[in-house]
Amino acid sequence: MRKSFSSVSILALAALGACVALNACSGPQGPGTNQGQGDEKSGTIGLQLQIGGGLSLNTVSYSITGPGGFSRTGSLDLSSATAFSATIGGIPAGNGYSITLTGTTTDGSTTCGGSATFNVAARASTKVVVALDCHQAPRTGSINVNGSINICPQIDELSANPDTVAVGSSIALTGVAHDADNAPSSLSYQWTASPGTLTTTGSTATFTCTAPGSATITLSVSDGDTNPTCADVLTTTVNCTAGGTVASAAFIPGSTTEPLLKAGHFAGAKVCVDANNNGKCDAAENPVTTDANGKFAISFSGSAAGLIADIPAGASNTADGSMNPSRIVFRAALGQVSEQGTGIVLSPLSTEIVRLTEANGTDYATEKANLGTRIGVTGAQVITDPNLLVDGPQNAALREANILSNRFRYAITKLDRGDKFPDSLAVPGGNPELTGLAGVTPATATTVDTRAPITFAQAEQAAFNVEDVPRYDSIFIVMLENKSTQAMLGSRFAPKINGYLAAGNNFASYYATGNPSEPNYLALGAADDFGITDDSQWNCDATGANAPQDLPLPDKTQPGLGKSPFAATCTQAAAVNHNITGKPNLFNAVSANGMTWRTYNESMNPGQDVRTDSVTDPAVVAPDHVYAVGTIGGNTAAVGNPLLSLPMPAGLYKTKHHPGMGYQNVRSAPEFKYSNRTLGGGQWDPFLLASSDYAIPAGYDIDQFSTDLASGNTGNLNFVIPDQCDDMHGIGVTGTASSGSTTAIDCSSIGNNQPVATGGNIITRGDNYVDFLVKKIQASALWQNQQKKVAIVLMFDEGNATAPDINSCCGWKAGKTATDAPLVQNPDGTFSQDLSVNNYKNGNQGHGKSLFIVLNNQPSAPKGIADNDVYSHFSFVRTLQDMFLLSDPAKDGSYMNRSKYTEKFIAQNILNLPEYAGSADTHYDAVRPMNHKYVIPATYVQKGTLDDTRPLQVGADANQTNVWAVK
Amino acid sequence: MKSASEQVSAARQGKVARLSLRRFAAVSERAAQAACLGFSLLGAACEERVARGVPGPAKPAAHEQTVPRAHAPELSLLARVGKRLFFDPNLSASGKMSCATCHDPDHAYGPTNDLAVQLGGPRGDQAGGRAVPSLRYKEYTPPYADLLDNPDGMSAPGPGGGFAWDGRVDTLAEQAKLPLLSPVEMANKTPDEVVLKIRAASYAVEFERAVGHEPWGDPAAAFRAALAALQAFQLEDPSFHPYTSKFDLHASNKLGGEFTLAEQRGLKVFADPKLGNCASCHFTGAGLSGSSGLFTDFSYEAIGVPRNAALPSNQDASYFDLGVCGPLRADHPALVDAPNTFCGMFKTPTLRNTTNRRVFFHNGVMHSLEQVVRFYNTRDTRPELWYPNLGGTPKPKNDANFPSYGLVTRQYVGGTTQKYDDLPARHRHNIDPQMPLDGRKPGSKEPLSEQNITDLLCFLNTLNDDYTPPATPPSNGPCVH
Repeated sequence: MRKSFSSVSILALAALGACVALNACSGPQGPGTNQGQGDEKSGTIGLQLQIGGGLSLNTVSYSITGPGGFSRTGSLDLSSATAFSATIGGIPAGNGYSITLTGTTTDGSTTCGGSATFNVAARASTKVVVALDCHQAPRTGSINVNGSINICPQIDELSANPDTVAVGSSIALTGVAHDADNAPSSLSYQWTASPGTLTTTGSTATFTCTAPGSATITLSVSDGDTNPTCADVLTTTVNCTAGGTVASAAFIPGSTTEPLLKAGHFAGAKVCVDANNNGKCDAAENPVTTDANGKFAISFSGSAAGLIADIPAGASNTADGSMNPSRIVFRAALGQVSEQGTGIVLSPLSTEIVRLTEANGTDYATEKANLGTRIGVTGAQVITDPNLLVDGPQNAALREANILSNRFRYAITKLDRGDKFPDSLAVPGGNPELTGLAGVTPATATTVDTRAPITFAQAEQAAFNVEDVPRYDSIFIVMLENKSTQAMLGSRFAPKINGYLAAGNNFASYYATGNPSEPNYLALGAADDFGITDDSQWNCDATGANAPQDLPLPDKTQPGLGKSPFAATCTQAAAVNHNITGKPNLFNAVSANGMTWRTYNESMNPGQDVRTDSVTDPAVVAPDHVYAVGTIGGNTAAVGNPLLSLPMPAGLYKTKHHPGMGYQNVRSAPEFKYSNRTLGGGQWDPFLLASSDYAIPAGYDIDQFSTDLASGNTGNLNFVIPDQCDDMHGIGVTGTASSGSTTAIDCSSIGNNQPVATGGNIITRGDNYVDFLVKKIQASALWQNQQKKVAIVLMFDEGNATAPDINSCCGWKAGKTATDAPLVQNPDGTFSQDLSVNNYKNGNQGHGKSLFIVLNNQPSAPKGIADNDVYSHFSFVRTLQDMFLLSDPAKDGSYMNRSKYTEKFIAQNILNLPEYAGSADTHYDAVRPMNHKYVIPATYVQKGTLDDTRPLQVGADANQTNVWAVK
Repeated sequence: MKSASEQVSAARQGKVARLSLRRFAAVSERAAQAACLGFSLLGAACEERVARGVPGPAKPAAHEQTVPRAHAPELSLLARVGKRLFFDPNLSASGKMSCATCHDPDHAYGPTNDLAVQLGGPRGDQAGGRAVPSLRYKEYTPPYADLLDNPDGMSAPGPGGGFAWDGRVDTLAEQAKLPLLSPVEMANKTPDEVVLKIRAASYAVEFERAVGHEPWGDPAAAFRAALAALQAFQLEDPSFHPYTSKFDLHASNKLGGEFTLAEQRGLKVFADPKLGNCASCHFTGAGLSGSSGLFTDFSYEAIGVPRNAALPSNQDASYFDLGVCGPLRADHPALVDAPNTFCGMFKTPTLRNTTNRRVFFHNGVMHSLEQVVRFYNTRDTRPELWYPNLGGTPKPKNDANFPSYGLVTRQYVGGTTQKYDDLPARHRHNIDPQMPLDGRKPGSKEPLSEQNITDLLCFLNTLNDDYTPPATPPSNGPCVH
């Protein structure tokens, strides 16, 4: 483009003053001579004055001087008249007077003045005519011109060769210009580029692409003219192309230790700028496709913001040679694209950065750093191709990439499926799909469905908030035993637990699902107890298809297990199978998704098989606990016998309290042995290495929990299981003493509904142990890393339910129908009863209400929330499935066992669920995630057992804040 | 209840099923019912009784759109034989007395009349020793133990479990042996005699098949099989544990289970340790083996039930029925001079289906539930209403305010009330001191008010099976407001 114009310097050397004489004269046009009436020795003068030309004077000052030093000044009011006359009296008669008049017109443009001489005759008016000269201000001017002319320079040509290169490569630039007058100076060349870098040598320059997309090169040529507009400017556009890889992770099942992951790439993935932000590479978006190594190169017609990899189902994952099971989209922030240029790594981690910036309203740099902090790598490693990382950073990146892949794949599944947003059980008020549904209590199903199909942006977030349960990195579920709400709430024997209750959040109507322990722990492992109603050993009546597969059984005939209490055979009258075989459960599900689980078990015998109960050990002897004044229920004297020696009793560790033990597929899992660990803090710990029962393994760690918290090697799902003294269960612990009691002060069993007034020493023991655990977890680097979401749950396996009232809720055995049975899903998606489970009708009957406290490590998370909707162990298992994305709310069958028994599911499958027929309150009977979305109707009176002595609530909660909310 | 058309249909199916019995091990409950018809063993009465003994599902409310399939649980072959045995009067010496004679399915498998003890024996004229208990809700009863864990998870272990009033047998099968061989009941002299009758019965072939071999050569084994069959029938047939009371609707969150105000108050009286404290022994919560709402904790207590002078066994003034310590069971013998903590203890029965029952306590001394409740309320405050007077003079006419609900209907002047007249003094320390029988002084305030008693009876009335919620809830009546 050629642009040129001449300019002339104009210099005003001087402004010429215009002097214009105006004839503003007055004349004898007034009213004539006045007759003076005053002093006979004085006379008056009459004045007449008229101004033409539209000018007007308001006042005219006069000054009269005369003989004998006469002097008078005054003003005459002309009142904007254009002519005036006035008479000035009292002037001594005499000769030689003069008068001067001055005045200015109202617009200030004209000044008038004049003078005259006169004589005064006594008692006569002397007519004086004053000629006024008026001078107007200047109105126009004229100039003198005195300048010089410079002809400006002209750019003839600006070339870029080539005009498209990859980021990091260079382009040669050449400019050609001329200046017709070669003055005032020789030409100078100024180059700029945005974005990009330049090296310049006069009329040539080298441009280097630093960011993908188009860049603007600007050349400015000056001939030295001081006027900047004289320089000629020309721009041209070049393209910087990008490239990179689409990285993948693959989880390889079967590890006996940590999850095994492999790095790779996705071949056949489409890469484009998703200009319309629909989560797809449309044809109009000119996608490129990754090669067999997952590489791509791409040029941009505009900004590179919105770069995605659209990985179709069937795309090859080179990590393990598998085919991508369903479409997934990776994203990269513009900042990352600019940073990496031709080495862009589109990965689950890059996608997570983008998602977080959108969720938090932050920027790329912030979330890159945060994600690095969360998984323990540098920000640079977060966006590095995991294939290029090694060791710990690679493992950390891959493990997270695998988890994120599952999340982002699920997001696209929701998008492509046209899910409504939010999930039906996450709609404020309650599930709108229930409204008007047959078989649902109408009063509890009133929410109108106003949802629309989910958008790409919504789906990306929804995959991390399944059924409004946020993703947590880790959860520590501290299992306590056998205390109803009534026994704990406000108990002076449990000040610490009550403190955590007040400081954290809680579920106020939480029900156990079985009685006694074992069915409740089974329910926590997989949302059913399969008809087990006792605490019997896990191989009892396990025959045929249910026969134990983890052979040999850990009985005392096995090498090294001489003191095993395990009975190799167990037959009971009721013939209820105790080895649950082939059922989905949390442990297998967590492992199958590349995550980890742990159970931390206190007071096992060193060297014992985790599948057996612990046994007494006379070689391990601990002193009784002694409680100082004021440390146990307000005691006024110390309690406990310092002289009492307590050999380690049998059954401190019980398999009935392991939520995975009853499941064959858990005990058979390759990671089973690795994942069951020790938990320290027990009364006998300091003496445990004196154990004589079994050979103590080399390097035996009696407190793997502390070790793991220090190393960060805890699991995603952690069941923390205190021994039968520290969990408040209670066993009779006796010993020998030279005097005083021979029974341990704080491990005797008390009632599940022990009144708080009488409490029980074991409650304080449990209270102290809970406090010890919580403080230990909260002191860990894991908890302190606020980029990780970590929760602690303090809960009881069961309450009490001695009252003649409702014992449970939410997936419970509602009624005593003899024919109910677990459901199995048929190939066509329908459900049928599995009639093979003996005694099923007796299971899942519940055991009352107990406390359920949630603490988390997020400083801005809401605190003090009480959710009084009804929930059960089955609700909790559903919540955990949502928390770790183990299930899909759109697929009932993806929820394990009774955790699928939502209100809608029950209504739709009522023929197979006769126990729920005729319900008075279908909301109460059904499972839902623990997300506080359901709003209790205004007149609804809460149901409740006498386990909770608080008045029954009427109507909704104080707020509907989610107990699990992280911000 | 089945509709008439369903019964006809069941009968047709039954004929088919009966013909195929020899080929198929499993037949439906309906078929078994119809088989009873087809063999004409008991005629129409059998059919009617069985039909009534197996209540249908509670009637759903009008707005319920979906009603589950009525799965009639199938009885095992053994249980079906047990059912035949249960209703077979030929198994008695008199030929007139079956299990069902005393344990009538229309009376919650309890007695049909208000006799303290039933009549039996070869000629049907021998009085039994104790009142006939209901056979309902026995499926969770554990074997007897001196220190049975209490199902409430809180109470100290104590004597509990087992069958009969004293727990002397551990299983329903063992229990069945007692009436079969008792000379004052079905009066078979030996097990072999029972087996011979079964061998001659119309269902002998079924019995053979159920036992799995030719049983007649080993009468002892055959007898055990018969007992097992009777047990299987009681465990498997829902009519023995229907859970169809209003309380069950309430406790399982069902339509029609909402308690009236009176029933709610009555529940509170029932459960409140400071009032009725009934739930302390008549445990209602979640218990052993998945049980709940049984209204018994299987425990044994001594509460000083007045002696029933009408019982033939009590004509001997030196005879005392002391429950767990004998004389019907021998493993906790009462010594003449020594205290025995088991003496005077009898089993806590379930309170289900009691408002229609007409005989109460082990000796059948009381005849209405209200009378029982008033005994609990005034045993200590007005013992003269319950125990005989010694040495006093009957008034010619009772005072106007002298209650009529007691066992003693004649007011006395002077004399001494023979409190705990059926428990020798050396065992009276066994008397349970819990509310409401807390041993308060005569003349002191009674634990329960008249309103409490009314309400409590209203609540207990919710424990009767076969409850159908009324289409329109009553707006008035003693148990409404």
